[in-house]
Amino acid sequence: MTHPAMTAPMLKIEGLTKGYGGPPRKRFWQRTSETRATEKSASATKNHLALDHLTLNLQPGEIYGLLGPNGAGKTTTINLICNLLAPDSGSITIAGQSVSEATKLLVGIVPQQNLLYNSLTCAENLNFFAQLYGVPKREQRDRITRCLAQVNLSDRAHSPAESLSGGMKRRLSIALALVHQPKLVILDEPTTGLDIEARYELWELIRQLKAQGVTVMLTTHLLEEAERLCDRIGIIRQGQLLREGTLEQLREVVQAEAIAQIDSPDEPAVLARAQALGWDIRRYGSGIALWLPEALDLRALLAQLDGIAIEAAALHPVRLEHIYLEITRKSYES
Amino acid sequence: MPVTPVRHQAPQHNLLRYGTEAIAIAQRILTELLRRRRSLIFWAIFPAIILWLNGSILAERAQIPTAEAYANAAPATLVGAALFFSCLGGSVATVVAEREQQTLKRLFMSPLSGLSYFLGIFLAHGAIALGQSLVVIFLALVVGAEFQGNPFLAALIIALSVMAYVGVGFILGTQFARRTEDVNALVAAFGVPLLILGGAFLPTRFFPKSLLDIAQYNPVFHMNEALMAVVSEGEGLDSMGNHFTFLALFAIGVTVAGWLSYRRMVNVERRL
Repeated sequence: MTHPAMTAPMLKIEGLTKGYGGPPRKRFWQRTSETRATEKSASATKNHLALDHLTLNLQPGEIYGLLGPNGAGKTTTINLICNLLAPDSGSITIAGQSVSEATKLLVGIVPQQNLLYNSLTCAENLNFFAQLYGVPKREQRDRITRCLAQVNLSDRAHSPAESLSGGMKRRLSIALALVHQPKLVILDEPTTGLDIEARYELWELIRQLKAQGVTVMLTTHLLEEAERLCDRIGIIRQGQLLREGTLEQLREVVQAEAIAQIDSPDEPAVLARAQALGWDIRRYGSGIALWLPEALDLRALLAQLDGIAIEAAALHPVRLEHIYLEITRKSYES
Repeated sequence: MPVTPVRHQAPQHNLLRYGTEAIAIAQRILTELLRRRRSLIFWAIFPAIILWLNGSILAERAQIPTAEAYANAAPATLVGAALFFSCLGGSVATVVAEREQQTLKRLFMSPLSGLSYFLGIFLAHGAIALGQSLVVIFLALVVGAEFQGNPFLAALIIALSVMAYVGVGFILGTQFARRTEDVNALVAAFGVPLLILGGAFLPTRFFPKSLLDIAQYNPVFHMNEALMAVVSEGEGLDSMGNHFTFLALFAIGVTVAGWLSYRRMVNVERRL
């Protein structure tokens, strides 16, 4: 296997900055050379920075998860990769080429919503996008057959998109993104609103893409999804990359072997005991979360909290949600 | 994979590519229309009914043979009424539906060029116009109407009318209509007065002078008059040149304005 350092990234984002807003522009009859100059200088200081010097590298064939709260800049990043927006500064290259209309051929995009032509059949939807992506006519039929098979929709080839279930529509959306055989597939919250079976089917499909050597960029709010699928994860907030790495690398953020979730009517006593034991304390929702520096079973945990009224106690391994909350908490603090 | 520094590449578009993309767009719009069989039937029934009404009224009130009445009614029915609703109303509805369903943004994530999309909508509505023209001509011929004049000139007038309607449709669809519900109100508010004033339902020769003076600024009036002069009276460019010139300038003007409005909309939609 080639060492990662020897391969060029499939997607390289460097110092990407994008802002929105800025002062309102004057009407053309109100504009003078002075106001124009003011507008020009003011455009550099936008009201809202959606991306602030974002730098990411996606290696060929990896699944990269981009996580972040709503408004973190994930969709703006995707719009920039798709050349729908121009960055204020920074650069994006896909397979060594600067983003342009030409690089759209290298990217397959699955937007958040299923943007399908409902009265067209699955095969017609695919045929339409094959034409737009310039798939040669002689190859179109084969590609459509293969894409439908890949997403398990062969038997629905001639069904109108509007007759499909939510999971099937999602799979058709993915097929539309694959019809031109892209090198990079971007999945924007692909499993939102899907039932668990459809979700598992989709995860399997994403794994198959990776097996075929396709690079996948995935944005999701489902941390379990990122945990199961992604080789590397990047966490962004307010347009800045807070941290990235493999799950193991990110795990270093949480200095604990396990997390104990405690519900107690006497919280001060729990907090005092945890402090005395040298355990870190966090609040996830209503209860108290104790970071246990060594693995304990429930009996041992309760023994440590002996004499304190406990309503409920549960032990969890350190999961991506704890890591994510810790990284975003630190960024809020800073 | 070695890194190869590539300059910011221009999209690899050429005439063939624009053509393929525009055909794909037109094909999709027409396939969707075919799927909604009811809409397709209405597009065919509408000119047939208007032709029957216009022809019957004209035959009775002007005391002329049915065949002649239908020959006179056909141009107004086609460019005045049928193409107005299919090409103007249709293009507004296409643009608004794409915006509402956000498929427009999906299209621009693909390498589809804005020009191809614009041309594709023209092409699709041109095909609908061709179908409606055939319906009107066929029905008029069935009752014995005879058409005169240069068929190429007549086809050019019809093509310019389609261009004018789709151009206006783009302006209205991109600037004034945000939801599908807006389409009817918009088409009715702008269209019905223009149609009546253009002689689509009542021949302009029955208009008072004051209305005729206003009608000179109405493109529908010039479409009707130009096509009527060619197909019903067998005239050429020399006798109806002013109508033709007005129509051609209007068609070009609104197509350019439609393109600019569309570009503006695309820039906004890309950011959403």
